[in-house]
Amino acid sequence: MREEISIWFFAGVLFLIYGVIITSQGLWELSHPLVNPPVLYYLHAPIWWGAMMTVAGLSYTIRFWPRRIR
Amino acid sequence: MQLQPFVAFSTYFAAPVHSLAHLNAIDIAVIAIYFAIVIFIGFYLKGSANTSEEFFMAGREMTAWIAGLSFVSANLGSLELMGWAGSAYQYGILATHWYWIGAIPAMLFLGIIMMPFYYISKVNSVPGYLHLRYGDGARALSAVSFAFMTVLMSGINMYSMALVMKVVLGWNLNFSIWVSSITVALYVGLGGLRSAIYNEVLQFLLIWLGALLVPILGLIDAGGWTNLKHQIGARLGSEYVHLWSTTGHFSENPMGIHWTGLVFGLALVISCGYWTTDFLVVQRVLSANNLRSARMAPIIGAAFKMAVPFIVILPGLLALAVLPYHLVGESQAVATGQHSYNEVLPLMLVRYCGPGLLGLGVTALIAGFMSGMAGNVSAFSTVWTYDIYGAFLNKKATDQHYVAMGRWCTFIGVLISVGTAYLVQHAASIMDYVQGLFSFFIAPLFGTVILGMLWKRTTKAGGFWGLLAGTCTAIGLFLWVHFDPSALRYVALSASAKTLAEDMYRALWSWLVCVIVTVVVSYATKPKPVSELEGLVYGVVPLPVEHDDHWYQKPIVWAGMIAVLFVILNIIFW
Repeated sequence: MREEISIWFFAGVLFLIYGVIITSQGLWELSHPLVNPPVLYYLHAPIWWGAMMTVAGLSYTIRFWPRRIR
Repeated sequence: MQLQPFVAFSTYFAAPVHSLAHLNAIDIAVIAIYFAIVIFIGFYLKGSANTSEEFFMAGREMTAWIAGLSFVSANLGSLELMGWAGSAYQYGILATHWYWIGAIPAMLFLGIIMMPFYYISKVNSVPGYLHLRYGDGARALSAVSFAFMTVLMSGINMYSMALVMKVVLGWNLNFSIWVSSITVALYVGLGGLRSAIYNEVLQFLLIWLGALLVPILGLIDAGGWTNLKHQIGARLGSEYVHLWSTTGHFSENPMGIHWTGLVFGLALVISCGYWTTDFLVVQRVLSANNLRSARMAPIIGAAFKMAVPFIVILPGLLALAVLPYHLVGESQAVATGQHSYNEVLPLMLVRYCGPGLLGLGVTALIAGFMSGMAGNVSAFSTVWTYDIYGAFLNKKATDQHYVAMGRWCTFIGVLISVGTAYLVQHAASIMDYVQGLFSFFIAPLFGTVILGMLWKRTTKAGGFWGLLAGTCTAIGLFLWVHFDPSALRYVALSASAKTLAEDMYRALWSWLVCVIVTVVVSYATKPKPVSELEGLVYGVVPLPVEHDDHWYQKPIVWAGMIAVLFVILNIIFW
């Protein structure tokens, strides 16, 4: 038996998945530049924004992982 | 012949030919993951919504943080996000008043003054409080007007989102409306208020995550705040970047409003009415696990609400400076094919966000819509079941029956909202319409509730007739100006006043009529014995004393800090 899943765990998992997807997309764009890039494309927002989400998501996922009830 | 229904179906959900941006596979994946998680939460929490207390009040187990984030998220619907970003483009920084003076004082007032009465009376709804204080008449009037307003609001929210998705992303209007409303119906119908609240917290975080990049990149693009102000000032005039200094006269600011309308109409009446008596938001706070959490929830909500202009108003202001084309009103946009004010937030997303981030931004807009709609639908279901069905139509049903009724109501509420969305397609200005609705019902209701809570002499007849007179006044003033526009100089005190200013003054007059009628009728009728007012009225019994270990745990300390920050921000942007 595990305790009820916390809302913060759901948030952590979602942030983590999004972070990984968006960072990967940003890194891929380094070698495959977009044909129609958005304004300020050179700042590579997907990389740093995605990395920040990954770190936040990972820490929340670990911190609020549902524990076993003894 | 047999293909005909399929052809009709595919035409109904077919995508429009033109759109501003296209989502690629990564964006679609980001959106699909969001839908999967919100539906999973609904199924996961289904087992925690078996009794009426669990289904309608989330078992009263929410912490201050969860209740507080849900409190502010339920309000952050697509109208709040896209509508007010559009208003910032249209009226400049003045739109911030709806987030600051039009929210923060009222939220703090709810947490410090009003929450103890709602919480210790253990009512399930605001009409439920009116029932205890004033009897069935005021309860019925308030419940019916609330139910009507809620589904209407929900439909307007739905339509505004679907319209923007159609114009910017090329999504079919029917597809957007049906997919998102079926999802909301599913997760609220399954998991009740707990599921709505859990998803609202998630949606609140997502809204920030998806929308925050726009002001960050926008400020870099515009060369910082000071440069942005100079650019807007050079293009349109400095009145677009000042909060208060241009409100000395109706004609000196783009909104056509006077500071008295903002302070008395917006802050004192509409905002207090909405944040303290609209069950859509109050329901979230009533789900708190103790009185201290219930008092802290609106205060936590106020702190986050104060930051929302950064992701809503600032993008609207940035668009004034950086967009290479001009946005127009909704009716002109439909006629000429230009983009409307309401599309400013998605347009800014498209400007700065590539694949992945665009999907995240669109998810934020969808999340905003869903949180607003789930709030409306769960509140509608509760008020219908407790205050209309349970109070007047079937008083002796079992608890299981009421839970089943709540689940059905969730689906029916969604269906009525969908119908409303199609009905309001012809409304010229969505935001103005909603502001008008607020002043019809919310302003007089605030007069009735606040007198009931603070003045023990208020009687049952006083409450009912005051509420009715106030509501009729609001509707009457609206019709007067509608049929005779020259009446604006009486209703809004100036012929130069614009729609939003008219709404503020109409709310103020209807509230005043409600208060005056309530007081006069109360003095003419016999009051309830004091023994029947325990826990309902200020000063009748002492409120429960909260024992905080440290001074910094007291709600009043946090409320004071937020109030100071609120004053400082208003001075900075004066």
